[in-house]
Amino acid sequence: MQTNSVICADALTVRVDDRTLLDNLNFNVGKGEVFALLGGNGAGKSTTLKTFLGLMKANSGSATVLGHNASTQPNQVQKSVAYLPESVTLYGHLSGVENIRYFLSVAGVDKSDDDMFAALRKVALQEDSWNKALSHYSKGMRQKTAIALALLRNAPVLFLDEPTSGLDPAAIDEFNALVSELAAGGATIFMVTHDVYGACQVAHRIVLLSNGKLTGSFERAGDTPIDTEAVHAAFAGRNV
Amino acid sequence: MILNVATIICAEQWRYWMRTKVAATVLLLGAILTIAALVVNAFHINEAAHARDHLQTEAEQRFKAQPDKHPHRMVHYGHYVFRAPTPLSVIEPGVDTYTGNAIFLEGHRQNSAMFAEQRQSAGLTRFSSLTPSFLALVLAPLFIILIGYGSVTREREAGTLTLLLSQGTSRWELLLGKLLALITASSLFLLPLLLACFYVLFSNESALVVMLFCLSYVVYFLLWATVVTACSAIFEKSSVSFTVLIVIWMSACVLLPRLGSSVATNIAPSMGKLEADFKVEEKLRSLGDGHDVNDPAFKKLKEDLLAKYNVDSVDDLPVNFRGIVAQYSEGRQAKVLNEFAETRMSEELEQAQIARQFGWLSPTVAVRSISTILAGTSLETHHRFLREAETLRLDFVQALNKVHAEKLDYKLDMNRNASEEAADKAVVGADNWSMLAEFDFKPEAGSTRISNAFIYFVQLLLWMGLTALLLQAAVRRLNP
Repeated sequence: MQTNSVICADALTVRVDDRTLLDNLNFNVGKGEVFALLGGNGAGKSTTLKTFLGLMKANSGSATVLGHNASTQPNQVQKSVAYLPESVTLYGHLSGVENIRYFLSVAGVDKSDDDMFAALRKVALQEDSWNKALSHYSKGMRQKTAIALALLRNAPVLFLDEPTSGLDPAAIDEFNALVSELAAGGATIFMVTHDVYGACQVAHRIVLLSNGKLTGSFERAGDTPIDTEAVHAAFAGRNV
Repeated sequence: MILNVATIICAEQWRYWMRTKVAATVLLLGAILTIAALVVNAFHINEAAHARDHLQTEAEQRFKAQPDKHPHRMVHYGHYVFRAPTPLSVIEPGVDTYTGNAIFLEGHRQNSAMFAEQRQSAGLTRFSSLTPSFLALVLAPLFIILIGYGSVTREREAGTLTLLLSQGTSRWELLLGKLLALITASSLFLLPLLLACFYVLFSNESALVVMLFCLSYVVYFLLWATVVTACSAIFEKSSVSFTVLIVIWMSACVLLPRLGSSVATNIAPSMGKLEADFKVEEKLRSLGDGHDVNDPAFKKLKEDLLAKYNVDSVDDLPVNFRGIVAQYSEGRQAKVLNEFAETRMSEELEQAQIARQFGWLSPTVAVRSISTILAGTSLETHHRFLREAETLRLDFVQALNKVHAEKLDYKLDMNRNASEEAADKAVVGADNWSMLAEFDFKPEAGSTRISNAFIYFVQLLLWMGLTALLLQAAVRRLNP
């Protein structure tokens, strides 16, 4: 893990009407780091993600990615990140290959068919399903397609929204291994999740979010995963 | 770059439509309907034009083939004149569908136009008249709504909007792509109409008129495509977007045009036909009976004439006094008839102009006004037809009255009812029937029609501005 800041929240505050969704968040995520934002329902995880993706604007403070302010330079941010939504929402009437080709073309990323097939193999999506309509895919298969898309973007930063939600244990292990591999390759991973166990397995750092405020932080020491019990206690304690 | 991404999004939207049977069916149905309406209408108008030519020639031949007759019998025999359809009436029949295009010219009365299609059908079938302009102005927007109401809401509901925007796609690129797709889909309904206009270019119609006619429809389709795309972006759910768009369609295409007509008849009420006919008859009666030379109404005419020719009796006049009375009476009757006709036409025009002001509230009304005016099928053109036909009628009747006054002996004329033999003598030669003038009605010059339609182009311009603002608001409000 390297320490130079890729993602930075500086006194980040987001309000909608009279509700404060994010209240003065401060954190930095370094290059090659897997950063997990852990919180319950309504804690503000998705708002944080949308703000970093430039889909919501900060009322005060800033959310920057690779030095670009997400509120004022959303396009620059979006061009340099890959995003994996919670319920993978690709087009049901298109095949996996067509979905990837379409999203890459709107992102202005030029990839050959060989690159695409290599990415699909890397995420272990069965080859016989590549050209089937996505409406026939299971959730895991959709997740793999979206990950392949994220890989093909060659983005230095990945934003993942509840990435393991709905996946079976084997698929979760595969996914965690892939995330670790990407981070080892220099990619910065920012995930929001409420899966304490999964976050502890893969994250270098876990930050707790409750009612739009940061309430705790846990850091991995060397190769030892973060203590699940300690995180769970803090997480549950804040939500009781 | 913005167009590049928009084109990709447009292509994807088309792929979605083609793979979704419902959208593909709507597109196909709309295109077939438009082509069918155009072909049927073109055939119908062509057939009617041929029939009109044939009837016009036949009417003229029949009139001229009449044997030696009393000239006043020819006044009552009468004659038909027909109005040829304008080239653009293939697309926009305008008021022609219910005003008629033939007039029976005869003495002492002004007949209204007849042989309108709608008069031959029951009132309830009026809505079913599938003219190309009706399809383009009323039904095509419904098809555009059906295929486009969910173009953006579908992305939001499925969650693909977030993913799409997170790829760096700007909101403008997204909406432009969706709009482009809807515009190209709409062109399926518009293309047959544009091809028909292209065909009209080879007729004697002004090219500028045809181009402006096309432009108004193109802008109209652009407006609807923009409104549909904007609503789809503004509202979160497809069901809400669909409901709002249907309400807009109902208001713009159905309710406001009808409300315009109702308001117009209330603000500028016109006399009912029965009442008007009664008043005309009453006024005409006061002018005297032109068939009766002894009617007191012609006493002064008689005195003036006797003085002019310095004779004591009408028997000594060098002209047939009955013919002079007929001429005099016809002229006075025509004046009264024209006064009533002008009042009725100005009332109708006032109503039409009030109804057209609803173009500030509905683009359908604005384009309908432009369409009928440019096509030469507006009320103004119809009124010109009535006026020109009336001039012809009066010339025709007065020419026969002149023959009556100058070529038929007064005594023979007065004695015509004494016996069959006397009746046979009270005639003039058939060579006099060749006075029938040709009637070649032409709509207003292109420049006049364009200038008449100017204010409605301003209405359309206003709608363009408003929809551009709506699109801008949609871009601002487009959130995943």
